[in-house]
Amino acid sequence: MKLTAATASGKKRHQNARGIHAMGGQIVVTGLGVISPIGIGVSEFWKAALDGRSGVSAIAGFDPFPMDGYRSKVAAQIHGFSPERYLDNVQAERVDRYAQFALVAAKEALADSGLQLANENARRVGVIVGAGMGGMVMGEREITQLYQSLRPHRVHPNFIPVITLNSASGIVAMAHGAKGPNYTISTACSSSAHALGQAMQCIREGRADVVITVGADASITPLVFAGFCSLRALSTKYNEQPERASRPFDRLRDGFVMGEGAGALVLESSAHAKKRKARIYAEVAGYAATSEAYHMVIPREDGEEIAATMRLAMADAGITPGQIDYINAHATSTSIGDAVETKAIRQVFRSRAEKIAISATKSLVGHTLGAAGAIGGIATVLAIHTGQIHPTANYEDPDPACALRGITASVQERKVRAALLNAFGFGSNNAAVVIKRYVA
Amino acid sequence: MSERDVTQKILAALADYLKRDRATIRLDHHLRHDLGLDSMAVIELLYKIEEAFDIQIPDQDLVGLSTVASVASYVEQRLSPGKRSTSGKRDRPVKGKKK
Repeated sequence: MKLTAATASGKKRHQNARGIHAMGGQIVVTGLGVISPIGIGVSEFWKAALDGRSGVSAIAGFDPFPMDGYRSKVAAQIHGFSPERYLDNVQAERVDRYAQFALVAAKEALADSGLQLANENARRVGVIVGAGMGGMVMGEREITQLYQSLRPHRVHPNFIPVITLNSASGIVAMAHGAKGPNYTISTACSSSAHALGQAMQCIREGRADVVITVGADASITPLVFAGFCSLRALSTKYNEQPERASRPFDRLRDGFVMGEGAGALVLESSAHAKKRKARIYAEVAGYAATSEAYHMVIPREDGEEIAATMRLAMADAGITPGQIDYINAHATSTSIGDAVETKAIRQVFRSRAEKIAISATKSLVGHTLGAAGAIGGIATVLAIHTGQIHPTANYEDPDPACALRGITASVQERKVRAALLNAFGFGSNNAAVVIKRYVA
Repeated sequence: MSERDVTQKILAALADYLKRDRATIRLDHHLRHDLGLDSMAVIELLYKIEEAFDIQIPDQDLVGLSTVASVASYVEQRLSPGKRSTSGKRDRPVKGKKK
């Protein structure tokens, strides 16, 4: 991925962005699709989100592993998912759970956008997917079987295509005949925020008219879950009260909750959208990607790198901090992560930090890793489109290190002119995306 | 296992992890401030100690493990029948450190 130089001045970036901007015009969101622990489909998801409903429950078990061996025993899972109920493509049976989620979300987003791919120049329609872990369901199964059986010739022939990290971007393109730019971004927890930014840039640079942008992950599997437990990154305090476990910004938070799912957003140039008289939800106006170059899993505690990333994204969008009305925070519910993000928000927005509405989508759906940016992006687009900001569930006892007036456990009604979507990932990487109300 | 044996085993684990001479590590050394371990490094060290002593250290007990001596004392407590861990329970919270 091409990183935005953190040293570049906002003014210069703005000029550069506007120069490039002329090529693809404004980039708008015309379709949404989601599969999440609180609902399959945007309508179900958004209703549950506005209700502040937690999708976290006790993990029934990792047969044959007893849950006793796991420190954390809760997750935000999508229960009873049957791919055949949503997908008719025979190829869907041959991809892993995360790619099936990607297919379901992309299908909904395309239908929502009204795009008729048959009428499009296929080479001008791209697919960019963000995925953190990829095909771990089959991956773990095949590795286990090989080591137990010692029969290499019994490794499934589809093992490599399934675990290759771009299987989702490939299958989504095949399902819809999208022959434009096609790639996968894997930057852990920020993968699909970068996917959104890259999709915006792809259209801005004139390389595509439409980019089906997806974030997907489904890796609540015995090995990956054990790995996050060993990293001591997960909540362990609320094993008996799962719905209380994901509590960003709250004083009693104690780690994140793993989630799974996918979000899809159809991005296209405003000219293309207007030509086909599409409904426009919002504009994706700016993006920044940086590295803290600091630590694999720990953010810099002064928050300066996150602050710089937000500033760069706003400069790229050509807006000022005074125009931001809402932040969809990364907010995973870890002790240090939420505090550092708050510190960064205070640095950037100063007194205005108390006036901005802030919500944490992970309080509802857990941390969906590679899907988090896309699902948070959908919540952001819907906040702009509907004027409603979903609650931050379990925000009961504000941590002084995170207390900002704009974080609430109830719905906020607000006209949002512009919003920031934050996402930070292992490997010391940060992303920020500016999404704003579309004005022709 | 005697308290001295426990301490020696922990010092060995630390020396191995830090790639430095065991004699240069003191019991009063602070894991973070003196030995330079960040929160992730402490977790890795405890992972080694869990294996070495065949114990599981619950997340909530990490808070009290700041010096070499406190780690040795904690492990010794866990290994001694009749004594309780600092928390006495296994399912209490820990300060999350990750993004």
